[in-house]
Amino acid sequence: MLEFDGLHKSFGPNHVLDGVGFSVAPGSMFGFVGSNGAGKTTTMRIAMGLVRADAGGVRWRGRPLDSEARRRIGYMPEERGLYPKMKVGEQVTYFARLHGLGAADAARASEEWVERLGLGERRGDQVEKLSLGNQQRVQLAAALVSRPEVLILDEPFSGLDPIGVDSLAEALLGQARDGVPVVFSSHQLELVERLCDSVGILARGHMVAAGTVEELRRRETGRLLRVVVPDAPPHWASALTGVRVVSEQAGDTLLELDAGTDDQAVLAAALRTGRVTHFAWQQPTLVELFREAVAAPATTVEVAA
Amino acid sequence: MSEPGPLGSAAMVRLVATREISARVRDKNFIISSVVILVLLIGTLGLQVALSSGGEETRVGVVGDVATLRPALEAQGQALDVDVEVRELDDVAAARAAIEDDEVDGVLVAESGQELELLVEQSAGGSLQAVVQGAVAQLSLSEQLQAAGLASLSVPEVTVTALDPDADQDGQRVVVAIIGIGVLYGLLILFGQFVAQGVVEEKSSRVVELLLATMKPWQLLAGKIVGLGLLGLAQIVVIAAVGVAGALAFDLVDIPGELIGTAVSVVAWFVLGYAFYAAIFAVAASLVSRQEDLGTVVMPTTLVLVVAFVIGIQAASDPGGTLATITSYVPGLSPLVMPVRQAAGEVALWEIALAVVLMLIAIALIVRLGGRVYAGALLRTSGKTKIREALRAERA
Repeated sequence: MLEFDGLHKSFGPNHVLDGVGFSVAPGSMFGFVGSNGAGKTTTMRIAMGLVRADAGGVRWRGRPLDSEARRRIGYMPEERGLYPKMKVGEQVTYFARLHGLGAADAARASEEWVERLGLGERRGDQVEKLSLGNQQRVQLAAALVSRPEVLILDEPFSGLDPIGVDSLAEALLGQARDGVPVVFSSHQLELVERLCDSVGILARGHMVAAGTVEELRRRETGRLLRVVVPDAPPHWASALTGVRVVSEQAGDTLLELDAGTDDQAVLAAALRTGRVTHFAWQQPTLVELFREAVAAPATTVEVAA
Repeated sequence: MSEPGPLGSAAMVRLVATREISARVRDKNFIISSVVILVLLIGTLGLQVALSSGGEETRVGVVGDVATLRPALEAQGQALDVDVEVRELDDVAAARAAIEDDEVDGVLVAESGQELELLVEQSAGGSLQAVVQGAVAQLSLSEQLQAAGLASLSVPEVTVTALDPDADQDGQRVVVAIIGIGVLYGLLILFGQFVAQGVVEEKSSRVVELLLATMKPWQLLAGKIVGLGLLGLAQIVVIAAVGVAGALAFDLVDIPGELIGTAVSVVAWFVLGYAFYAAIFAVAASLVSRQEDLGTVVMPTTLVLVVAFVIGIQAASDPGGTLATITSYVPGLSPLVMPVRQAAGEVALWEIALAVVLMLIAIALIVRLGGRVYAGALLRTSGKTKIREALRAERA
């Protein structure tokens, strides 16, 4: 289990992380979403020992991460970085060695990953001569080459074309299948929804929601009801008790029901206006969950120490 | 495949150092600068050889009494510091041919019963006439003395007392020391720049974040300095070896032992000076994120080096002076001043020891304090970082 536990971090007066915690099981993928500046990068940098947390810590297999354990983590920083003048193959070999592989193993693993990521022909080229997409692949090879026990990737999909996205997604799913816990952040929410076993939504330094996409949905489900009544007059549902009209457009109405409000009473009211062409509980997409979570004021307000 | 093993600090530093070396030896700038330095060195040696072997020589043909004239001509050449080559010729016709073919510079015709005659192509240039005239005068003098019944002439001999018998050698020592600190200065600047550029390259390419996820800042700093330092050391050792070997082979110096001593002390001071300046250059470079900004942050350090070099040159002419004495203890200045004083032989062993100890203390302080600045500044990849901010970030 990879556990992030109660991370706090301030940069001067800026309270960047305020008790961020979640855990990722081996073999599962954790999608880390949140608006810009929410604290995703800081959380990952704390895990990699690049930033010191004011409080809290990160544990792997029950033990706090130290530099030796971190060497077993494959990391892709948000700011991509490679030696521009170093050749692709040598560069990947170098990172394999920094992660503790012996010379021969590192060379072999480098060759394998360069080949696997479709860079076989560019092995001898300097990194700066590669396209950005290919540089991104080298970056991924550098993260994967040492057969890491954990993967922490900051925005790995940004800047990739759709084919690149697919092949990266395939590589990450492969890693997860091999039992590696994968944590990555992304703004591409449909991608997170598609790939991840669980999702954490970070807003203003808080983890406002965490769990499987299903769990998050269930939390929201049972509250939003979509009713389409083409013949109804405007504000047809305003008078119903325990019902708030979220939106209404030419009879396409989104209603939020209080707990205990009978949806059948709403259906009856709708039928009284004429035809009902649609009546269903809304399955929110991750995008909607995200908007909801980020827009709402933080649920647990803590006094800054 | 074996499982990845743990890496000790030494292994980490070695990995970084190896990468630095292999990246640098393939770098065009490094190759060019190395070649230029060697070419300059060999050129200097060649020039010295040409200048020192430039003693005058003259080729004299003799028609006639060679047996008497040859020793006289050679003796006269020795007195005038001219290499004289005497060649016997059969007659005047052969003499003319030899002059026309430029086999000799002139021919002394001494056929019995005739006036002595010096044949030349156009004019008796340089030492030719002096040598011939002197030799002939000497011969005729001893002949006349013999005719007058005097077998030999007793002439009082002048005793030469040298006030500074080592003046020439002192000069050579100083020249060797100046060349030494010149090389030292050049290599300190060059490798200091390499270190600074390397640090900024890692920051500007953002690869530093990936590196620091696997190692501590000091390991990265140490690996970089050690790797480039070994290259620099190799280069200065090659330069010293080629220089010393060349100077000895071409017999340019009269003091082989002291030449080697000075070369060794220059190499040793390179190690100390490099550790000092490389650490400062690295720390300064860590404060900026772009190669364009590098100049402004390394400028103060470069200026210190220039000042040290100027004082070193000055110390060569006045190795016992107050300025040279004081600055030879000051860390940072000592690597370029102390070798000169050592070469001039004006320095006691305890003075060298003191300078070395002070330098070591300074290096330890810089590595400690600078290491913290470096660690704090490395991940600030936007704009320029102030030293105080870097220290604060390191503690955070």
